[in-house]
Amino acid sequence: MIYLDHHATTPVDPRVMKAMLPFFSEKFGNPSSRTHRPGWDASDAVERARKQVAALIGASAREVVFTSGATEANNLAIAGVAAAAPADRRHIVTVATEHKAVLDPCRALEAQGWQVTVLPVAATGLVDLAAVEQAVTPGTALVSVMLANNEIGIVQPVAEIARLAHAHGAIVHTDAVQALGKLPIEVSSLDVDLASFSAHKLYGPKGVGALYVKRGADKRLRAQVRGGGQERGLRGGTLNVPGIVGLGAACEVAAQDMAVEMLRVSALRDRLWQLLRDEVDGVAINGAPAPRLAGNLNVSFDGIDGEALLLAITDVAVSSGAACTSAEPSHVLTALGLGTRRALASLRFGLGRGTTAAEIEDAARHIIAVVSQLRAQSPARAHAGATAGGPA
Amino acid sequence: MYSDAVLERVRDPKRVGVLPEDSPEVGTGQAGTLDAGTMARIQIRVKDGRIVEARFKVFGCSAAIAAACLMAEWLEGATVTQSRAFTPGQVVDALGLPEERVHVANVAVDAARQALDEATRKAGTGRQR
Repeated sequence: MIYLDHHATTPVDPRVMKAMLPFFSEKFGNPSSRTHRPGWDASDAVERARKQVAALIGASAREVVFTSGATEANNLAIAGVAAAAPADRRHIVTVATEHKAVLDPCRALEAQGWQVTVLPVAATGLVDLAAVEQAVTPGTALVSVMLANNEIGIVQPVAEIARLAHAHGAIVHTDAVQALGKLPIEVSSLDVDLASFSAHKLYGPKGVGALYVKRGADKRLRAQVRGGGQERGLRGGTLNVPGIVGLGAACEVAAQDMAVEMLRVSALRDRLWQLLRDEVDGVAINGAPAPRLAGNLNVSFDGIDGEALLLAITDVAVSSGAACTSAEPSHVLTALGLGTRRALASLRFGLGRGTTAAEIEDAARHIIAVVSQLRAQSPARAHAGATAGGPA
Repeated sequence: MYSDAVLERVRDPKRVGVLPEDSPEVGTGQAGTLDAGTMARIQIRVKDGRIVEARFKVFGCSAAIAAACLMAEWLEGATVTQSRAFTPGQVVDALGLPEERVHVANVAVDAARQALDEATRKAGTGRQR
């Protein structure tokens, strides 16, 4: 099985695993234990990881708050800002292509009486800056825009959005889960107040993430998990030391490898697209080709039933244009303007650190064979001269 | 979600193809529409009241592909009389289809019955000549 679903999750890098292992049973101390060596060792390891995370995003270590993952980080950012917002700021601006871990907390606030503006995107996947400017008002508490999209890889102009939002005094949050370690991030250049990260998208373990909280922005954020006062009171609960060490190590490895890896993976991605485009009619990239994550390719096929496509693909682990939990089309693809059938007949390829050139050739060959088979067996091609495939 | 009976027919479908529509031995049936998302075309070659060859084409979900494929399997080698007894319920049971996909069995059986009708008609016309 060729694994091309690195946006969903990644394997733990052996270097990360090695760093984590001592912290399960050998160095098992609680970093909140201030009175003995095991506690100090654990605390030292957590603080080292904090520096490693901070270094990858151009932050100071004090600005990194560890969480159980990006979903919690997003919830802390959104619900936390809302809880601390003054009564005259009860408005949130976000984008239709955000992850559900952003959209759902926003919807929950909407149900509590908050005003939520969900901005559309163009067929490119990019949000219109003029629309952002129009949406943000002095009553806006938070603007949350993803840095790189988890389905189509599109990189939003977060720095420009932040400038527009800050002009009205809003807090700016970015879900940077897919971007971390895949493209250079400088939180000061992005000018965001909050940014969410996850370890398992970065060859680290599942169940750990972080929220970057810009110095001073903590005054406008309220903890959502209380108890114990850990993480400067912003996230209670005993720290997941092995996980945090893993996140730190994953960030350090990414910092070393990123420049070379971006070039290597984008070349493989371009080769995959070339093979598909050359051999398959009626295939199109969903969203703009650029600016896009190096490892992302999201394509739709004309005249193919999406569900049959996915079941017929046996040799490649890819993700479909269906939402995680149902046969509904992806909200990201429909936001681009794709019809239901075309959105369902889409594949998301996520290339990663382990992806090889030979795998790309094999994967393309398999996908091409499956698409060709499904099209060949379509009754729309039963007669000579009949048009290819079914309806888009 | 799907049984092995469905998966194997989606991944390695047998009897996909076309028979010469104008042949006096060939009956063609088509049901469903591309717009509705499921369309099946089944063709049979009949000799002396027995189906000696069955071919299908299908557009649709995995269940639709498996249903058309299974129909062609059952038809090939059966007599015309036996084939008229095939029901959508039998297709659903054989493939273990989930309830929301039952309509694809109707499409496959409809296409098969139309093919049987046309083959019977052609055979009758042939005898009259």
